[in-house]
Amino acid sequence: MNDIITTACKFVTSSIGRKILVALTGMCLLLFLVGHLAGNMTIFGGLSPEGGTSWIDSYATGLHSMPAWLLWAIRLGLLAILLVHVGLTLILKYENYTARTHYQMEGTLKATLASRTMVLTGVMIFAFLGFHLWQLTFNGDPHDCYHHILAAFQNPWCSAFYIVAICCLFMHVRHGVQSIFQTLGLNTRKIRPLYNIIAILFGVVVCGLFISIPVCVLTGILH
Amino acid sequence: MANLNLTLKVWRQENAQAQGRIETYKATNIPDEASFLEMLDIVNEGLVHEGKEPIHFDHDCREGICGMCSLTINGVPHGGKHVTTCQLHMRQFKDGDTIWIEPFRAKAFPLLRDLMVDRTALDNIIAAGGFVDIRTGSAPNANNVPIRKKTADAAFDAAACIGCGACVASCKNSSAMLFTSAKAAHLNLLPQGQPEKNKRVLAMVQQMDALGFGNCTNQYECEAACPKGITVDNIAKLNRDYMIACASEAVGVYS
Repeated sequence: MNDIITTACKFVTSSIGRKILVALTGMCLLLFLVGHLAGNMTIFGGLSPEGGTSWIDSYATGLHSMPAWLLWAIRLGLLAILLVHVGLTLILKYENYTARTHYQMEGTLKATLASRTMVLTGVMIFAFLGFHLWQLTFNGDPHDCYHHILAAFQNPWCSAFYIVAICCLFMHVRHGVQSIFQTLGLNTRKIRPLYNIIAILFGVVVCGLFISIPVCVLTGILH
Repeated sequence: MANLNLTLKVWRQENAQAQGRIETYKATNIPDEASFLEMLDIVNEGLVHEGKEPIHFDHDCREGICGMCSLTINGVPHGGKHVTTCQLHMRQFKDGDTIWIEPFRAKAFPLLRDLMVDRTALDNIIAAGGFVDIRTGSAPNANNVPIRKKTADAAFDAAACIGCGACVASCKNSSAMLFTSAKAAHLNLLPQGQPEKNKRVLAMVQQMDALGFGNCTNQYECEAACPKGITVDNIAKLNRDYMIACASEAVGVYS
């Protein structure tokens, strides 16, 4: 037992151990993103012609009809995962900042823009998340989700903020996805290009579909 | 043979405590077959002739195998041509170029003077576990120790690290992961390194963290700057070995 505790303590304070935790929590958040996207896509089911409930309304009421303890367990679980991801990253970033002495002439060989702006895009996503929860989760009515989303995105400022935030998400995910494989030790020179393609494809598909919602609202495809 | 006339922006600093600054020097009539260090020798001869203090920089073998030369050239350690500074030739530059020359920078590499930094931290990582405790005897006969060709190649590629510290100097986070992972992988891949594998991985990572290096963010600047072509596959292997070592130590699986 003693060995387990001391090793666990060493693991969560070491550079590699914390990076692995960031990678694992990041992976959980990516899975959440996919689930969330799948739910969002029900908006394209539109309003039912007979005046019944729309797909997204039945999806939203379905989520809310979960037992309260389960709903809150999922919410708090996600919050805990998010806080571990953000907290550890900020600590690691602070250490990185203090470990470095800056050059008068900075040169970069192959570090991507996405990889160099992870904290910036991450903070942007975090800020957006607060707004997004306030706007659509805590101030929404699950029985009239469809019109609530439509009303929100008909405001061009709201749509613009959403699109910018999702673009930040793309940058974050583009580096994050392939980074997970490296940090978990699953990377080799042969397979690296494939991970890169997976990261870009994942980002393009997920972020493209998210952005399609405000775009369709603004262009009147969803009405 | 064309001769080059260059402008050098060089970091000058009298000692560790002094305030450093960039100074500008003219390097005139530099033959393009000269190495980068020979170019600095020519500039230094001029400075000595004028009664000024020459530019201090690290160098030793000047044939790309000792890992002593450093210099961050235009923001890239060793100039980014996959060779050490001593093997970088002036034909890589054009007449009239301005070249920025700075030391290898990282908090873990304290500056000694001008372009010289103290890279003892890398030796400390080796001292923590980058060795084999038992006597392994002299070189065994070929095929006496069964080892897969690809494994031997990977170990040899990792062992090509000369410990110059370009990985740390190029890293946006001053992380020593490429160095540490290469030194660990080189022994961890070979049969002689197996008995101490977990102990070695844990000790080297702990030492690396304690020395104040940053944390890897998978940007692969190190691999691009490495004069010896050490790949970040070694970092992935170190991450993997670290997980295995922690798990084995925690539950008491000793192999």
